[in-house]
Amino acid sequence: MEFILRYLPLIWNGFVLTAQVTLFGIFAGLGLGMLLAIGDIYGGKIASTLIRFYVEFFRGSPIIVQLFIFYFVIPKLVGIRIDALTVGFMVFALNSAAYQKGYVKGAMETIFEDQMTAGLSIGMSRTQSIAYIILPQALRIVIPAWSNEFCSLTKSTSALLVIGVRDLTSAGQTIAGQTWRILETWVFIAVVYLLWITIVTKIMDIVYEKKKIPGIEMSA
Amino acid sequence: MTGQVVMESRHLWKIYEKHLIAVKDVSLKISEGEIKLIFGPSGSGKSTFLRCLAMLTIPDKGEVFLRGENLMVQGVDVNKARAKIGFVFQHIWLFRHLTALGNVELALRHVLKMPKEEAREKALEALREVKLEEWAHHYPAQLSGGQQQRVGIARALARNPDIILLDEPTSALDPELIGEVIDTLRDLAKKGTTMLIVSHEMPFAREVASEMIFFDEGRIVETGTPEHFFTEPGSERAQKFMARLIKKTRSE
Repeated sequence: MEFILRYLPLIWNGFVLTAQVTLFGIFAGLGLGMLLAIGDIYGGKIASTLIRFYVEFFRGSPIIVQLFIFYFVIPKLVGIRIDALTVGFMVFALNSAAYQKGYVKGAMETIFEDQMTAGLSIGMSRTQSIAYIILPQALRIVIPAWSNEFCSLTKSTSALLVIGVRDLTSAGQTIAGQTWRILETWVFIAVVYLLWITIVTKIMDIVYEKKKIPGIEMSA
Repeated sequence: MTGQVVMESRHLWKIYEKHLIAVKDVSLKISEGEIKLIFGPSGSGKSTFLRCLAMLTIPDKGEVFLRGENLMVQGVDVNKARAKIGFVFQHIWLFRHLTALGNVELALRHVLKMPKEEAREKALEALREVKLEEWAHHYPAQLSGGQQQRVGIARALARNPDIILLDEPTSALDPELIGEVIDTLRDLAKKGTTMLIVSHEMPFAREVASEMIFFDEGRIVETGTPEHFFTEPGSERAQKFMARLIKKTRSE
């Protein structure tokens, strides 16, 4: 296995890139997903229709196709060149937002209208009620789904290699190609993914337990 | 005896659909320190009327005044008005992610913009008034129904509102928990809190209400002192309803 040591810097760089894209995707996706959920629930018909199109596009097409569209098609139409890594960050955030909108909206809907009415009754505006009452409850409910989203997002980052971004999977390809030690290489790469996902989801479990409040749980 | 008018509705209407009229032409005045009690059959529009007063449901016609300010005029900041109205809900509706203290504190911090320490002090004081100070750090799910409703009352009164509107505050509670909530309301009454209460707790009404209002089919059918209703209600509907209520109270 010593040959792996020689390639450690390459693997490390790939891993860092994968982690960066995933973390950016999940956090930016959460922010955007929250806005989309709020827009869908409170924004009226037009907003809701636009949001539905957005979500259908990102959930209904393969992420590789989305990467191609943002890397090749849109620059051609608009006339601006975007580098592959930026496209990666963008597509993963937009893609994750489409999924996370669903989780957040579902959670917000389980926090019935009564919490909003109670918020208004103490003199809060709708925006304040969302910020101080609805979202703090919704986000607690969303954490387990968020953990799943993190897993699937991490794994789909391997699609980045189609636009030439040197992520963890692409590091594996390089090593396997140069050394022909296919078995060891891919087992090692798989273990890196596995460790990363296990550690992060464990952290999320801990956060979920820590933030848990009696009376607010995942509904079945 | 009675002072300034605190809250008033003039010819208030709420129409849900063409044929479903919840509130019909209701005019009502409550002055400083008064306690008025609305009662009547379920579905008669009592709750809708109360929500209209707090602008939680927007009325279709008529006027709502809070200390002389017409809340139905375009451009009035309704949120600001609601901050001066305490509202207690039938199904309690505490904020489930906050402790008892957090529930009471929220409006003080973010609506009245009090500094942290002052808000905490005020909130604890309100919890003391409903005798729940030692439960301050419990979450709603860890409290009994009666305790939850007392937190609901503390949440409404902590802001020193001009008036507290209570929508059947005891009707969702188990019978053995009603007493503690009634005791709390009795304390508020003694302190001269202005209140409009929808309730069917007749002994309590007799004790504290300065006026009782009989509601049916979205309108005020009859008003009078508790004595009037207990001895000689004028309308036939009120007579029948009172007879049923008194029978029910005795059998409990």
